[in-house]
Amino acid sequence: MTDPAPPSPPDPSPTRTDTTTLGVTLRGGDLGWRPVAPALATVRLIVLGAVLVVPLLATVVVALLVTGWVWLGTAALVVAGLWGLWVIRRQVSAISWVELDEEIVIRKGRLFRSLVSVPYGRLQYVDIQSGPLARAFGIASCEIHTASPESGGSLPGLPTAEAEALRGRLAARGEAQRAGL
Amino acid sequence: MTAPHPAPTASAAPDDGWQRLHPLSPLLRGGVVLLAVLGYVVSQLVDSVFRSFDPEQYLPGDVGDEADGTWAVTAHPLLAVAALVVVIAVVGGVSWVSWRFSRFRVAGGQVELRSGVLFRQHRQVPLERVQAVETTRPILARLLGLSQVVVQSAGGSDSHLTLAFLGADRAEEVRAHLLELAGRADDRGAPQHAPGQEVAPSGPEVASPSPTDREPGVRPLVQVPNGRLFVATILHGSTIVLGLLLLAAGLTVGIAEAGLKVLAGAPALVPVVLGLGVSRVKELLVHGNFAIGRTGTALRVRHGLTDLRNATVPLHRVQAVEVLQPLWWRPWGWWRVRVNVAGVHAGDSTDDETVLLPVGTSTEAMTVLSALGADPEDPVLLEALHGDGGEPGWTGLPPAARRLDPWSWRRTGYALAAHSLYVRRGRFTRRAVVVPHARVQSLALHQGPLQARLGLVSATVVSTPGPVDASVPHLDAAGAEVFLDVVGGRAREARRVVGPRADERPAATGEPLAPDPAPLVD
Repeated sequence: MTDPAPPSPPDPSPTRTDTTTLGVTLRGGDLGWRPVAPALATVRLIVLGAVLVVPLLATVVVALLVTGWVWLGTAALVVAGLWGLWVIRRQVSAISWVELDEEIVIRKGRLFRSLVSVPYGRLQYVDIQSGPLARAFGIASCEIHTASPESGGSLPGLPTAEAEALRGRLAARGEAQRAGL
Repeated sequence: MTAPHPAPTASAAPDDGWQRLHPLSPLLRGGVVLLAVLGYVVSQLVDSVFRSFDPEQYLPGDVGDEADGTWAVTAHPLLAVAALVVVIAVVGGVSWVSWRFSRFRVAGGQVELRSGVLFRQHRQVPLERVQAVETTRPILARLLGLSQVVVQSAGGSDSHLTLAFLGADRAEEVRAHLLELAGRADDRGAPQHAPGQEVAPSGPEVASPSPTDREPGVRPLVQVPNGRLFVATILHGSTIVLGLLLLAAGLTVGIAEAGLKVLAGAPALVPVVLGLGVSRVKELLVHGNFAIGRTGTALRVRHGLTDLRNATVPLHRVQAVEVLQPLWWRPWGWWRVRVNVAGVHAGDSTDDETVLLPVGTSTEAMTVLSALGADPEDPVLLEALHGDGGEPGWTGLPPAARRLDPWSWRRTGYALAAHSLYVRRGRFTRRAVVVPHARVQSLALHQGPLQARLGLVSATVVSTPGPVDASVPHLDAAGAEVFLDVVGGRAREARRVVGPRADERPAATGEPLAPDPAPLVD
């Protein structure tokens, strides 16, 4: 069964190491990976700050009024905030994507790396979402849906114009390369 | 089985107009509880009526010990008769109105169902969106010889259209009619499945009587004896562990004392046993009376111990196939075959259409697989089922994977065949997954921190939702890139060969694929 069918790629055995067609790797490479807008980090930091500020104030008030021990909690929250800042910067800088001839590839994550390669022909529809905060910074997230809910990629933090353009390109290519279910 | 009442003329009307469901359906839809309450009330009333006509037993004070005053009313014979008449009239009237307002029709390329009196509902399902049509027979309906027809469309269980209830024969007629119409729409979508092109699979046939024979086009493939299913269901990790625990307790404590200990511990064990029992019994109920047959372009599955279901799995909607064998089944050589079907969601209450063989011998498993388009003699398939690693053509895991998967790392791997990707996993529970290249939705790689330290990457072939998971864990980093490249390349070629769906580009020639796994490949 390992003999290739006529339309198959020339080499049936998956042992070759020269990745002629793709060269897609988890760690990036020279494919022209495009980063997402740095504003995404700002948006996420604002959200993080909004989440942390209430307990932070609460601990400060309690520490001033009741007992000094609660400063420990304040310190813990500050440390958590700083850690979040570091993580968010790293995470956002780790998101990158590239449009290939037949697939769009999205790469994410530093500690838990992931990569999803979605063929244009499998696209069902593309959603563009942006909340009020994201809109204020002029970014939107682009969600790519296939017939499988788990396989879709989401691409957060594209400049709104670019997200619209990407949706247009994806729709056009999806139409051209559609492959049924 | 025929309906106890003759089908009303309206429901035998031709398709141009609306048809009605069976007159008993509103009562049956109310379910067991309604019927029980109704039966109780009516029997009470009838009792008191008869009693009241019998002067010797008629004691006015007799019913006084029933605290509420409701029954005291019935103490008087005329009142009892009146109450009986009113109850029957109200129930009958409500049912009649509900029946009058529930109508369905198949017209204009759509199935439509109108229902509801106060809250009207009108549901339409376009025939080309119909994923499957099945008939189910809950136990009450079965007693009355009725069936319901469930029209499944993509979009989850709330998008189903249920015609409940029709006479059993009428339901089969409607199902066949809908399938024929929907199948025509399918054939437009998938020209390579034109009926003339369907070649009979070469696999061995198990000629066994099956209730699906009464349909002319169905060829029975496999029937699972309930006895084997029972043994296989009992042979489950949880029950075996429980049995071993009891045995160990018995051996260590001594037989005489063990009885007492078990008795003392019994209350604690009850929930455990109950939990295990429920899952086992449920499996038995779902998979009982299992039979599978083949029609032109679909597989017909019948299963269910109490609720007999007839489901249809169109072959070209099968996205991925898994054959698995728990350790306990190996001495018997039993296998289970599961599939991912587009439009059937794994979250549904019963995994009805995803199991194509609950437990079968390897011959039977091969019969089902060959109906799906596999070749029973295929060495790659046999290696996927039985191989232990190191066969030529298979790409395995690097030795570093031993750290994360000490038992199965040798066996785990993937192989590429002409039309499909084979993945095998698991040393104890053996799994072999087949995904046709043309069915690959997308590809994904994942790497956690531990894997990063060992230089390993997990690769996943994403299929539509379902029980089958086609992933290869712990490939080495370069190997994962090769996987992405090679599998992606094959998928690209396959998509190009299949081309756009004909309903989107009618001029597509839909050149037949190589005969090998053609039914699996769209």
